[in-house]
Amino acid sequence: MIAEANDPTRSGPPLPATPLENIGLSRNEVETLCAKAARGAGMSWGHAEEAGFATGWLSARGLDGPEALLTHIEKTHGKAWGDVCPVIEKGRWRPSAADPLCPIALGATLNDFCGLDDGRLEDGALTVGPISHPLLVLPFLSHVAARLKRSIAVGWQGGSLRMDGEGAMTGDLTGFAALQEATLDLSTTAESVRPRPQKAMRTCKRETFLRLNDFAMKTTVPPSDKSRTDAGSGTSDND
Amino acid sequence: MTMVGRNMKRVNQEAGPVGKIGHRKPEVVMRLARMGSAHPTRLSFLRVMLRRMTSGGWRFDRPVWEIDAKGVGRAVYRATGPSRTYSLVAFSHDLPDHMRSDRVIATAWDATFALFDGDPAKADLDRLQGNVPLQEAGRISASELSLSRANRSVRLFSHVVDSLAAGRQPDIGEVDAVGYLMRTTAVYGSGKFGAADRRDIASRAELAAPFQAEMLSVWLTRQFTVDIVEHLAAVKGGTSAIRLGTDVKRRLGVGNSTGLGMAPFLVRHPALLNNWMAAREEALARVRALPEASLSAVHCLKDAHSAACENAANWRSEHPIQIDKLRDLRGDLARIGARLEEFPGADARPWNALWRWGEETLTLEGQEALFALLIEPHGDCIDDLAALMSADEAAEFRLDGAMRIASLRGILESQYGWALSIDFARPANQARFWYVSEEKLEPRLGDRATDDGADLEQPLCIARMAQDLFTALKEWPGNDPVAAFLLHHPDHRFMVRRAQLAARHPYAEVQDNLIAEDMLPIDLMRCKLAFFGASHFDPRSDRWVRISLFEGAPYPLDLAEEASS
Repeated sequence: MIAEANDPTRSGPPLPATPLENIGLSRNEVETLCAKAARGAGMSWGHAEEAGFATGWLSARGLDGPEALLTHIEKTHGKAWGDVCPVIEKGRWRPSAADPLCPIALGATLNDFCGLDDGRLEDGALTVGPISHPLLVLPFLSHVAARLKRSIAVGWQGGSLRMDGEGAMTGDLTGFAALQEATLDLSTTAESVRPRPQKAMRTCKRETFLRLNDFAMKTTVPPSDKSRTDAGSGTSDND
Repeated sequence: MTMVGRNMKRVNQEAGPVGKIGHRKPEVVMRLARMGSAHPTRLSFLRVMLRRMTSGGWRFDRPVWEIDAKGVGRAVYRATGPSRTYSLVAFSHDLPDHMRSDRVIATAWDATFALFDGDPAKADLDRLQGNVPLQEAGRISASELSLSRANRSVRLFSHVVDSLAAGRQPDIGEVDAVGYLMRTTAVYGSGKFGAADRRDIASRAELAAPFQAEMLSVWLTRQFTVDIVEHLAAVKGGTSAIRLGTDVKRRLGVGNSTGLGMAPFLVRHPALLNNWMAAREEALARVRALPEASLSAVHCLKDAHSAACENAANWRSEHPIQIDKLRDLRGDLARIGARLEEFPGADARPWNALWRWGEETLTLEGQEALFALLIEPHGDCIDDLAALMSADEAAEFRLDGAMRIASLRGILESQYGWALSIDFARPANQARFWYVSEEKLEPRLGDRATDDGADLEQPLCIARMAQDLFTALKEWPGNDPVAAFLLHHPDHRFMVRRAQLAARHPYAEVQDNLIAEDMLPIDLMRCKLAFFGASHFDPRSDRWVRISLFEGAPYPLDLAEEASS
């Protein structure tokens, strides 16, 4: 993705010799990169799309979704769906085994079960977890809030926050973003959320970008002479 | 923006002389053979952009021209509208011939461009100069709306420079044989390489229709291509050099060279595809329902027919498939010409009668050409549809887990019958697979029997995925929610989302098997390029094509002169 520059094209100054610490990424690029990385880490195509949605949503609100996804997939890539998807009982969603829940699998399933008996948040709390990198669940909870037209309260050991369907959030976001693993209590709340200014990130740490890109590249096929020829390299286009 | 799909009822097209005329069925419209015969129309995105830019209220100038005697340097073309300014920043290079390639693997180009959101200061130009010439290897910012590059036509470019330098106009035969001085080889928008996200600019009136920033950038690029030949001719010929004649200039478009990378776009954006196709169908239905043909509309129709005949006569291709299609097109345009001699005639709905005649008489090439002709005189009645051709894809993303399994099965039976009937046990029906190449991250098409990489197949095999989903659903109780199914079948999540979207958007799916042995990727490309407004579709193989954009259109700086004179 970041290729070597080619001098003969230059009519201006060269790129800085020392690589920049941050790379500017549009939301579209965050979504695409993270979806590919999630797929490269073994998620289904449908969940890879969800990972793209979640990281883009977080980046747009100044939260480091790409970093959270990266540390999650570095720990869990290659695990079977049955090991990371929730086992659903009314009021309590838990992992099937020792591993924490995948936040993308959990978030998508929370959206799927929104409005169904097993996913009810309206009358009493739903306890979910433990979850790996719970920050990644927030975008899905925002969709639940939009669907229910209610704010949602999120509690964990040591903190709480509230969010609404517009994506506004209030509470201990910094503490929440730092959680590597947590069990959450989710419920609807009548308390409104006071929106506070959110600035989109639009950058990604170079190291995070490169490591996500390593996962993304696992979805690609190495070249062969035949594939190059099929793509048109056998014919001259310089006319 | 999804209202097109939702509000447009699908009605059988066999409407009588006074009954309501509905939209054609998706199984008629959404076939590769027909989509691969598409022609540009007045709903094409470059036409939408030109209507806005030439209807007054926009001014054009070239505030920067810092190009040296070798043609190296930078220039800025500015479009100033009622509330915003957009500037094409162009970097011109001196490229050795052996480095010139249209393919995405190229690393050097004759010229590179970015469309800047506003009026760039010197610091902006310097920043862009450090990045734009590198294309994929550089980074742009939220202040840029597109990134692109162009290569010279070796044949035509030097002929034109030499002719002008010697004080004569270039040979018209040479000009028409190529059709452009330079061809773009990629025009990136929508947040690529750090550019502004589509969702952040989509609410602006001038950018609301699809690909408006990209079309503006290519239109301003066309101006650059004639400015740079005139500049180089002046350097070479000194006082004996002349400028391009008006007629020659008008004949020149901007070329574009497009490979497989574009083919999956329509499949990856089903809501958008629906809205494009639904807008076309609504336009056709409105025109067919008109009770009369005014003298001026008939005049416009006949002019459009003459222009189409001229275009078909100048349209060259050496590709066997396209040669056959051109033969069909020229024959059909002659038939249409004969039919127009008796148009409008005494029919209660003359446009409908003409259309029905075309459906019975013409090949797909001719029918699609007739479609473009039919809607051409009716801007007042259909141009508003351009505003419905965007899609809010984020709003379509969330799937409905509460839907019952029986309903989902019903969607597959009603919307995907074409897919469920394919026999995938036959090797020919899944002979190919789409993958992304590690080398250039571009989509390619592999041969399942002989190529490596089928385990990394991209989810573009919609028919097979629909069939697999249908099979998996058979074992589930019809009353269960889709959420329960997805908890056990994560691999079907992608297709469930897609099927639910297709239920709301009848024209979302190409109803052909995209991994079949005889599938032609150029059909997908032609459909998309026709929506852009491309003419002279010229396949170089079944996987890459050249086209021309803006041929015959005005130039922005000429508009500026007309306005001031």
